[in-house]
Amino acid sequence: MGNSQRTNNMKFEFTKRILPCLTIVLVAAFASNIFAQAVVYKAGTIHTMAGEPLTPGQILVEDGKIKAIGKSVKSGNAKTVDLGDDAVIMPGLIDAYSQAAFYNGGSADEITNEVTPNFKAVHSIDWSSRTLRRVLENGTTTVNACPGTQNVVAGISAIVKTDGSQESVMNDDAVMLASLCNDPASRNRSRSRPDSIYVRQPTNRMGVVWILRNTFQKTTKAGDDSELTNLKQVLDGKRKLMMVSRMSYDLNTIGSLTDEFDFSPIIVGGHEAYKIKSILAERKFPVILQSNPAGTTTGREGSELCWNNAGVLHQAGITVALSGSNLLAEAQFAHRHGLDRDVALAAVTSTPAKMLGIEQQVGTLEANKDADLIVLNGDPLEFTTSIRWVMVNGKTIGQKKDK
Amino acid sequence: MLQRLRFSCCFVLIATFACATVMAQKPLAIQNATIITGTGETIENGTVLFRDGKIQAVGKKVKVPVAARIIDATDHYVIPGMVEAHSSSGMSQANETNQIVPYVTVIDGIDPMNSYFRQARRNGITTVRISPGNSTMIGGQAAVIKTGGEFIDEMVVDGVAGIKISLRPVSGSRMAHLARLRKTLKDAKEKLEEKEEKEKKAEDKEKKDDDKKSAAKQDDDKKDEKKTEDKNKVSSPAALSELDKAMNALLSGKNSAIIYCEKAMDVGQALRLIKEFDLKASLVLGRDCHKAAKEIAASKLPVILDPTLVYWEEDPRTREEKKIVLPKIYRDAGVDFVFQTNRPGSSTIGSNYMWYQAATGVKYGMTEEEALAAVTSLPAKFLNVDKFVGTIEKGKDADVVILSGKPLDLNTWVETTIVGGEIVYEKEKDEQLKRLLTGEEKDSE
Repeated sequence: MGNSQRTNNMKFEFTKRILPCLTIVLVAAFASNIFAQAVVYKAGTIHTMAGEPLTPGQILVEDGKIKAIGKSVKSGNAKTVDLGDDAVIMPGLIDAYSQAAFYNGGSADEITNEVTPNFKAVHSIDWSSRTLRRVLENGTTTVNACPGTQNVVAGISAIVKTDGSQESVMNDDAVMLASLCNDPASRNRSRSRPDSIYVRQPTNRMGVVWILRNTFQKTTKAGDDSELTNLKQVLDGKRKLMMVSRMSYDLNTIGSLTDEFDFSPIIVGGHEAYKIKSILAERKFPVILQSNPAGTTTGREGSELCWNNAGVLHQAGITVALSGSNLLAEAQFAHRHGLDRDVALAAVTSTPAKMLGIEQQVGTLEANKDADLIVLNGDPLEFTTSIRWVMVNGKTIGQKKDK
Repeated sequence: MLQRLRFSCCFVLIATFACATVMAQKPLAIQNATIITGTGETIENGTVLFRDGKIQAVGKKVKVPVAARIIDATDHYVIPGMVEAHSSSGMSQANETNQIVPYVTVIDGIDPMNSYFRQARRNGITTVRISPGNSTMIGGQAAVIKTGGEFIDEMVVDGVAGIKISLRPVSGSRMAHLARLRKTLKDAKEKLEEKEEKEKKAEDKEKKDDDKKSAAKQDDDKKDEKKTEDKNKVSSPAALSELDKAMNALLSGKNSAIIYCEKAMDVGQALRLIKEFDLKASLVLGRDCHKAAKEIAASKLPVILDPTLVYWEEDPRTREEKKIVLPKIYRDAGVDFVFQTNRPGSSTIGSNYMWYQAATGVKYGMTEEEALAAVTSLPAKFLNVDKFVGTIEKGKDADVVILSGKPLDLNTWVETTIVGGEIVYEKEKDEQLKRLLTGEEKDSE
């Protein structure tokens, strides 16, 4: 700014021409981190999600990674940004079950075949998907992009960052998805003509379970390089399996299937999980709870909802993660309805990271982890708190000039 | 004059009726509470005393009668009952298929057992203006009612609380919609003017007759009076249809217009209509209307925001998306606005709660005081019922909410809702909420 005070002429030149250019260059440089400069962010509170919160705290970010974090860090040559005493930093949020990365949130369903274990969600990802941008704006920095629920065995998910860059794929060969709910059947029923080539099984719940059981049976007999290799990995405990299931009786069926075949799924949906909490706790199935429209008492498939599903399951000793397009709001309402404060925050950060097996990289704010974080203007568990900006791999998105 | 007299008579009647039902009430006192009165004052350790459905006293030192029932509200907050300025819930059907029905009234369609009212009491709303829906051109008459009660008669505060006009065509073009609406208003206006002219003529004639008569027959007073009475009967206008009556009320300013604007372009039309027909009006805004925020601010009209306060808007040309935050835009433009709620089940999380709408306002820059006013005193003013509700002041209706903590805090719950001095909601006794929060069924025994 000192330049602008030389002479009036120069001042005019500077403010009218050079300054805008300079600003654009600077902003661009900052946004894309051309100069991967180390920055220390100071904030009134840092929820590291690995131990007690730091009040105040500092975090050193360099080359997209967290280099150091603590009450105070050695800054060296790093630039210091003081975010203020009100500022709260927490890890970027993680959605362990999401469809946001597909074209405008549409799900990836295959409708000609009920068992597609070799389909990979990564090929369906739309890097400029609007829904991806929306969840990023809401603080979500990592999503597990999952195939839809219309197939009994749907395929393999991909874990990606939400910054819309193709380099941000963390795992393109992540979790196997299966459905034990009404979804694969409901669509088939609507095709009216039984002699149509589009008709396929299942058309009811029994059919869904039968296909699942049949597929597992085939898998146990299959050789190592068969079409069912990916499923074999599930039965061998080498690949995680997520099962979308909402009603208590479907969840029960999962229980009996795991008795017949050797696998341990992560439950997705879990609308009525609270009803059979002891069974789920005994079998140690973690649960990813899906968002329900606010204020409703019945959910999909006519499930009876418990607003404190998360709290009840946690009390019973079940690992719970939350899922939805606005994860912070999910955590806020879960806390309001009875889930403990720390558990509610973990349910959108460290817990889903562990479920996805990416806890070495993301989910908490610790040295050597990815610099994925969100900066808020207050307590994350207050409705009146807003997100100031989000950082993915050390790049800031939506930086605002706050007071 | 006569009309107004009749109108206020109605009002008094309703008021006395409401009073009569609570006459037998024991005085009720809330003690040791932090009272946010809504008049800019917060009373720590305060007492509110209710008697006969009204607030009898509020302050730090209030003499509580021995007979009074006492609620100890230590560590609790007391705020005025919230007011929702526009809702089409709580009715069996909010929209009439016939497009011009200014004579129907929501009072005939409100179902006090509708879950809306239970939700409202549970979330601290004590007064609401139920309006016909947004899909009928002239949809009928709105009413301001209390959310506590089992029969509509005991809930109504103001049965003449506006006529809903929607500028969104259900079918056909906006041109046709507007043309039909304007024609209806014009026809009604002409009829009204014609009627007024006739009445005036009749009056003038009567006066002349009277003068003549009084000059001629000064001594026969009694007879004369009788004759005048007869004359009045004769000269009274021909019976008006219900439609005419409703439209007359609208055009003469005895009733107001509640105009729903779906898009920003509708705002301009609404303002034109208001000017053209000299209407008293409030605006119910669809979310697109934020583009007309400046015009809305200049109009100084009461404004009710769309319940979806934050959303993504697509640029139709570039298809790029932008995050729109309604309370911020309107606040920056200087518009006085109030909130309404979405129905439960809306995809926008939290928007079915009035307190969440207020919290969202704070999240995007409103002060807590402003946000609270936007759900209490301001809507009361908009609805012209601020003499009765909206703040905790002596003489106003005994409508308050006891909160477990600071208003708008995440862990704050409505503990007790009081309407007209009667406890209409207690969280402790809310079995449905208990089930929703524990997942356990009530013991069947």
